[in-house]
Amino acid sequence: MLKRRPLVTGDKTYKDVTDDICELIERPPGIHFMGLFLGVKALFVFYLVVLAFIVSTGMGLMGVNHPVGWGTDIITFVFWIGIGHAGTLISAVLFLFRQKWRTSIARTAEAMTVFAVMTAGLFPILHTGRPWLAYWLLPYPNQRGPLWVNFRSPLIWDVFAVSTYATVSIVFWYVGLIPDFATVRDRAKNPIRKKIYGILSLGWRGTARDWNHYEMVYMLLAGLSTPLVLSVHSIVSFDFAVAQLPGWHTTIFPPYFVAGAIFSGFAMVITLMVLVRHFYPPFKNYVTLDHMEVMNKIIMVTGLLVGYAYGSEFFIAWYSGAPYEQYAFINRAFGPYAWSYWIMISCNVISPQVFWFKKFRRSIPVMFVASIFVNIGMWFERYVITITTHRDFLPANWGDFVMTFFDLGALFGSFGMFFLLFLLYLRLVPAVSIAEVKPVLFVGKDKGGHH
Amino acid sequence: MEKSNKYWQSLEEWRNDPKFKELVNSEFMTSPLAGDGEVTEEEGPARRHFLKLMGASMALTTFGCVRRPAQKIVPYANRPHEIVPGVANYYASSFVDGVEGFGTVVTTREGRPIKLEGNKSHPANFGGMSARAHSHVLSLYDPDRANGPKNNLLNEQRTNKDTVNTTWKSADAAISKQLAKGGVAVLTGSVSSPTTKALLNTFKTAFSADHYAWDSIGLGHVSQAQKLCYGQSVVPAYRLDKAKYIVSVDADLLGSYLNPTRQSKGFAQGRKKLNDDMNKLVVFETLMTLTGTNADERFVIHPGEQASLVLALTHEVVSELGFSGGFEGVTSFTASHHEKMKPRFAKALNAIAKELISYRGDALVAAGSPQSQDENAIPLQIAVNLLNTILGNDGKTVDHSNSYSFITGSDAQMYNLIEKMKSGSVKTLVIQGVNPAYAWGDSFAEAAKNVEMVVYVGDRNDETGSISHYLLTESHALESWGDAEVIKGVYSIQQPTIRPLYDTRSFNETLLAWLNKGSEGDDKTAHDYVKSYWSSKIKGPSWNNVLQNGVFTEANLPSGGQRSFNRTALNYLKKLTPVSGLTLNMYSTVGLRDGSLANVSWLQEFPDPVTKICWDNYATVSPKYAAENSLKEGDVVKLTSGKNSLTVPVHIQPGQSDKAVGLALGYGRWAAGEVANKVGVRSIVFAKDFKNTMGHNRVLASLPVKLEKTGKSIPLANVQGHHSMEGRQIVVETTLKDFQKNPESGIHRHKIFSLWSKHKYTGHKWALSVDLNSCTGCGSCIIACQSENNIPTVGKKYVLNGREMHWMRVDRYYVGDPENPSAVHQPLMCFHCDNAPCETVCPVLATVHSDEGTNDMIYNRCVGTRYCANNCPYKVRRFNWFSYTSVKTPLHMAMNPEVTVRSRGVMEKCTFCNHRIKEVQNKQRVAKTKYKDGDILTACQQSCPTDALVFGDMNDPNSQVSKDFADKRTYILLEELNNTPSVRYKTKIRNVASLKKDKHHGGGH
Repeated sequence: MLKRRPLVTGDKTYKDVTDDICELIERPPGIHFMGLFLGVKALFVFYLVVLAFIVSTGMGLMGVNHPVGWGTDIITFVFWIGIGHAGTLISAVLFLFRQKWRTSIARTAEAMTVFAVMTAGLFPILHTGRPWLAYWLLPYPNQRGPLWVNFRSPLIWDVFAVSTYATVSIVFWYVGLIPDFATVRDRAKNPIRKKIYGILSLGWRGTARDWNHYEMVYMLLAGLSTPLVLSVHSIVSFDFAVAQLPGWHTTIFPPYFVAGAIFSGFAMVITLMVLVRHFYPPFKNYVTLDHMEVMNKIIMVTGLLVGYAYGSEFFIAWYSGAPYEQYAFINRAFGPYAWSYWIMISCNVISPQVFWFKKFRRSIPVMFVASIFVNIGMWFERYVITITTHRDFLPANWGDFVMTFFDLGALFGSFGMFFLLFLLYLRLVPAVSIAEVKPVLFVGKDKGGHH
Repeated sequence: MEKSNKYWQSLEEWRNDPKFKELVNSEFMTSPLAGDGEVTEEEGPARRHFLKLMGASMALTTFGCVRRPAQKIVPYANRPHEIVPGVANYYASSFVDGVEGFGTVVTTREGRPIKLEGNKSHPANFGGMSARAHSHVLSLYDPDRANGPKNNLLNEQRTNKDTVNTTWKSADAAISKQLAKGGVAVLTGSVSSPTTKALLNTFKTAFSADHYAWDSIGLGHVSQAQKLCYGQSVVPAYRLDKAKYIVSVDADLLGSYLNPTRQSKGFAQGRKKLNDDMNKLVVFETLMTLTGTNADERFVIHPGEQASLVLALTHEVVSELGFSGGFEGVTSFTASHHEKMKPRFAKALNAIAKELISYRGDALVAAGSPQSQDENAIPLQIAVNLLNTILGNDGKTVDHSNSYSFITGSDAQMYNLIEKMKSGSVKTLVIQGVNPAYAWGDSFAEAAKNVEMVVYVGDRNDETGSISHYLLTESHALESWGDAEVIKGVYSIQQPTIRPLYDTRSFNETLLAWLNKGSEGDDKTAHDYVKSYWSSKIKGPSWNNVLQNGVFTEANLPSGGQRSFNRTALNYLKKLTPVSGLTLNMYSTVGLRDGSLANVSWLQEFPDPVTKICWDNYATVSPKYAAENSLKEGDVVKLTSGKNSLTVPVHIQPGQSDKAVGLALGYGRWAAGEVANKVGVRSIVFAKDFKNTMGHNRVLASLPVKLEKTGKSIPLANVQGHHSMEGRQIVVETTLKDFQKNPESGIHRHKIFSLWSKHKYTGHKWALSVDLNSCTGCGSCIIACQSENNIPTVGKKYVLNGREMHWMRVDRYYVGDPENPSAVHQPLMCFHCDNAPCETVCPVLATVHSDEGTNDMIYNRCVGTRYCANNCPYKVRRFNWFSYTSVKTPLHMAMNPEVTVRSRGVMEKCTFCNHRIKEVQNKQRVAKTKYKDGDILTACQQSCPTDALVFGDMNDPNSQVSKDFADKRTYILLEELNNTPSVRYKTKIRNVASLKKDKHHGGGH
C-alpha cells in the first residue's frame, strides 16, 4: 500500500499548531512586515488619490474612448473576480470532495477571494460615468414611478452575481473562522483583545453541539458556494458574450472564463503562499511543497483548458464563416495589439508547461515566476478580449486604446488595496485554519504521531 | 494756489503741486490696465474695470466648481410683442461668407438667434447650407470679439504697444480730422451690399477716396480672363443644375470654390436623374478635393498641367474630332499640349472630347481653385473659356448674365494699394471685411507702416486690427441691417435678429457717421437707410413682404447668350510657364477656407470631408512620394519655398499628384482668438507676386518647394480610424448601366428570420433614408446637427483620443489603387433600430424604445456604463467623458433650449431631432391638423444642399421615406445583424463603365 505523505510536517503537536499559527497575530510586527505594510499602504493611498481624480474629473482621464468603451476598469474587474475563484474552489469544492490537503491553504485562499472580490467590486462602479448613481443598478423600491432595472441587461446579472458571490464568500469565510477566533480569544491576555475576538467568535465554546452546528453550516455553505464557482464568471463572461460584437459574441465564453478564473486564482494562491512561506518560515510546515505541487498541477491543467479555448475560438471563428468574426480574431493575433495577444499566449499557455516536470513543480523560484507570469497573462487575456471593440463592423470607427497614467494608477493601485487587506488579514486572523489542520495532523503518519 | 493747507505731509502738498494732486487722486501709482496715461476722463478709471474683471473672474472660478449651476429665471412682466417664451421665432435674413451668399432663416429663441437654416426660396442656396454657414451663428457669440471701439497705441515699429478703450465720439472725431487731410483709401472685400456700395460711392466723392476690393481667396483670375476673352469682367455662375457633362480641372465646385452650396444643389439635381440624363462629372486634379471624391471619373494631373490639359482636350475636340466651331487656328498651339498629355490620357481625352461634343451646350468646363492659381492661372481660365465657347456652353452652363456680379475684388487692386501705401500717398486707410495682415502676407503690414492712420472695421483686434490705430468694432451680420446682391438681380435683406451684444456699429453705420462728420449719424439709422434705399427700388411687393421672404428678384433679367470670343486673348496661351519638380499647392478647405471663421470651434473640429482630419493643416503628399521618401503620416517636415519655410506634419493623401505638396489656407492665425491661435501654419507666406501683361496676381500653386524631414512627428487628429471598407458591404456602389439593368445591383441581401414577432408601431414610425448617390460628403449636416443639438467641441487632444462628440458623422472610404482611388461618403447618425442592441444591454433602462420607433436616450437616468456604445454596431453613440457644459460667455447664448445640455458621464446620440417632432406634433394637436409628409425636417435634412436625407413616417405608405424604403435601390447597413434600423441607404450610382475595385484587403490604414 502506498503510504500517504504527511500533510503537515515537522512533527507538530496540537499545541505547536496553535502556537505557530497564533504567533503571527500575537506578536508585534517585525521590520519586514512594517516595511511591506507601509509600502503597500502608500500604494493604497496613491490608489485613492487616483480614484478621487477620476471620480471628480471624469472618465475621460482614462484611456477609454470611442470605440473602446470599456478599458482598464473592466479588464481589471474581470481579473480580480477571476482571482477570487480559486479560493471558493479550494474551500468549497475541495471540501465537498473531502480533499484533506485543502485545510492548510483554504483559509488564505478564501481570504484572497474576499479581498479580490472587494477590490474587483470597486471597478464596475468606478468605470461608470456617474459613479455616485451606480446604486441605480440595484432593483430597490423607489419613488421614480415604475422605474426598475433592466433585467435583460447582463450588467444587472453581474450585479447579482458579484454581490451574491461577495456575500456568500464572506459568510463562508467568517463561519470557518469562528472556532479559530475562539482559540485566539482564549489565548488573549489583553482584555480588549479578548473582548474583540470574543465578539467575533460569537460565543463559541467548543461543545459538541457547537461543533455539530458548525459542521452542518459549513457544509451547507460549501454546497451553496460550489455553484457560484461556475456561475459568477459565467455571468461576467455574459457581459461580453451577450453583446453582438465580433470577438465577444461567442458561446465558449462561460466555460472559458471559468477555467481562466480558476487558473489565475491558483496562480495567485501560489504567489501569496510563496510570499507567506518566505516571510514566515513556520508556515512551511503547514503549507508544504506537496501542497504547492498539487496546486501547480491544477494550474497546468487549467492552463491547458485555457489554451484549448484559445484554439477553439479561432477554429470557430473560421468555421462560422462570419467575416467580422474572422477578422476580429485575425486582428487579435496579427493586428496592432498582437503584442498583447502573444503576451497572453506565452504567459498562459506556454509558461505553465514547465509543470510537466516534477522538479519544477516543486521548485519555489520556478513556481513563483510561473505564477506571476500566469497572473500577467490572465490580465492580458481580459485586455485582449475587452479591447476587441477597437475594430468592429465599420472600419471608419476603428480606433486605438492607449492607457493613460490614470489607467496604470488604477491598475497598480488596486494591488495596493488587495495587498493592504491581505497584510492586515495576516496579522489579525489566523492564516491557517487551526481547527481544520489539527484533524489532518496525522495523515500520512503512524498512529500516535510517530513514523 | 487754490487753498492753503493747514496740515501738510510734504512740501509738494504744501505747494499744492498739480502733479502731486493727480497722484493723490489716482490712488494707485500705476493703473493695471491703462496705457501711458492715455485714459481720458470719459473712459472712466481703468481701476474699476480691473476690479470688475477681478470680481467677475473670481465669481467665475467659484462658479466653475458648482456641478449644477443654479440660475434664477424671471418671467416677463410685460411680454415683448411676438415673443412667446418657449416658442421659436423665425426671421428671414441673409449673409455673405467671403464670396458665397446665403439666404437664411434665423431661428431665435427669447430674442437670441440660435440657429441658421437655409431659405428655401432664395436662389443662392435654395435652402441648402454649408458647414461654414451654420458656424456663422457661433461667430456671433465668439468670446474673443472686441466689446467696443479700441484705440491701439502703436509704437515706433508700428506694432501694438497697448490697446485702450475709446468711444465712438472720440474715434469718429479723430478719424474725421484725419480724413479731411485727404489721401484716403478704403480696402474691402467684394462688396455684396448695394447700400454699402452706395454709401462707399458717397464716401468716395466726399473724401475723394479710392476704393480697393480684394478677396482673400479671390477670383480675380476668373474675371480677368473673362475680360480678356469676352470684354466683360465678371465672375460667371456655373450652372451645374443645367450641365449634363461637367469637366472640372482643379475647380472644387462641390467643396470650396465660388458657391459650393448652390453648385452642390445643382449637381444633385442632375445626379438624381437615374436614367440616361444623369449628369457625369469628370475631374482632373492635382490634389484630392471633395469634388474629386464625387467624380465619376477622376484623373490625377501634375501641378502646372491644368492649362495643358484643357488645351489638349481642346485640341482633341477641334483637331482630332474636327469640331472646331470656327477655332481651327488654335491647333497651332494646342498640338504641343496634346502631344504632352496624350501619353498619359490618350483614351480619356478622346472619350471625354467625344462626350463633350455630344453634350455641347449642356456641358461645362471649369477651373480655378487656389491649387490652379499658379502663373498660368489666367491662361488656364482663357483655355477654359475657349473650350466653353467652342462647345457653346457659354451663356448656358456658364451663366454670365445672372452672374456673381458683386465679386469685383482682385489681387491687382491690392498690389495697387500697397504700391500707393509704400509711396506714402495713402494717409488714411480704412479696412473692412478683410484681414490682409493675415491673409495677404507680410508685405501688407510692412506697407501699412507708411500710412498715417489705419482704421480697421472688424469684430476683433485680430492680425489687421493690431496694426491699425483704430479698431471700430463691427456688428455681426445677425446684429445689423444690411442687404446683399449675391447673384445679379437677386436682392436679399439682412435683418438683425438681436440687438448688438457689444458697443458695435455696422459698416454702413460707420460710413453714415463719417459722412455726417462724426455726429453719430443720428439723422439716419442703418435701418432707415436700408429701408429708404430699397423702398424706391422694390416695385411690387411691400417692404414687409420682402423682409418676410428674405429675397426679392428683379423681374425681366436679360437672358444670357453666347458671347463673342476675343481671339487676341489666345495669344496669352502661346507661352505658358513651365512647371517642374516638386511644387507647393495651396488649397482652401471646406471648413476654414480663408480662415475668416477660424475662431469658431465647430469649424476647427469639423473633419475635413476628404482627409477627415481636424484641428490642423498639413502637407499632403502622395502615397508614392511618401514611400519613396520614407515619410509616415504625421512626420514633421520643413517646407521651403523661396525665402520662406514652415514646419508642418505630413498627411499621406491617396489620389494626389506625386509632384504636388498640398497645404491648406486659413490656418496659422495668431490673433484670431483662443480657439484659432496657433492652430496649423500660415501657408500664405509662400504666396508669390506675379505680374505680366495679363494681370497682376498672387501665385498660390506650382511653387517650387523643398521638403526636408525634421525627424519629429506629431499626430494628426483624424476622426476616422480606417479608410478602406475591407471588402465589407458598407457603401454599395454600382454603375448607371448596371443599375438600369438591375435596380438592386451591387446589393447583397441577407435572408433574415427571427423567432420573435416584430415590434408594432400603430401610430407614426419615424425613419430616415439616405441617398448615397446625392450625398457629396460636404459635412454641412455635421455642423447643422452640432448647432441644433448643443454638441460640444473637445479639442485636438481629445479628438486624437477618439472623443469627438458629433452625433452625425460622414465616413469616407477609398476604393481602389491608392494612387488614384475613388471615394465614397456615408453619413451616419443613430439608426434608431427596431431591435436596438443598445436598449437590451442598458442596465438602468436609460435608452428605451418609443412607440414611434425612435430610440430615446434618457440623460438623467444614464449612469454611464457605456455598454450601449460598445454594443452599437454602427458606433454612433457619444459619451460625455468630461463636463462639457460650461462654455465661455456668451457662447452659452447659442444653445438651443429645446435640447438638453448633457452633463458629465452620460451617453448621448442622435435623437432624430425629437424636439422638432414634438414641436410639430404639439402645434398640430392644438391646431387640430394632421401630420403631412414633410412637416418635420431634421436639422441634417434641412441643411443638406443635395437633399440626400429624407425624414418621414414609414407607416405612411405615401411618404417619401416609405417610397424610398420600397425602392429596390435601398439597402440596410449590416442587415445580417437583424437590428432592423430605421435609417437605410440608397446605392451610390456612378456614371461610369466600370467601378474601381479594392485590390487589397487589410492595410491602407
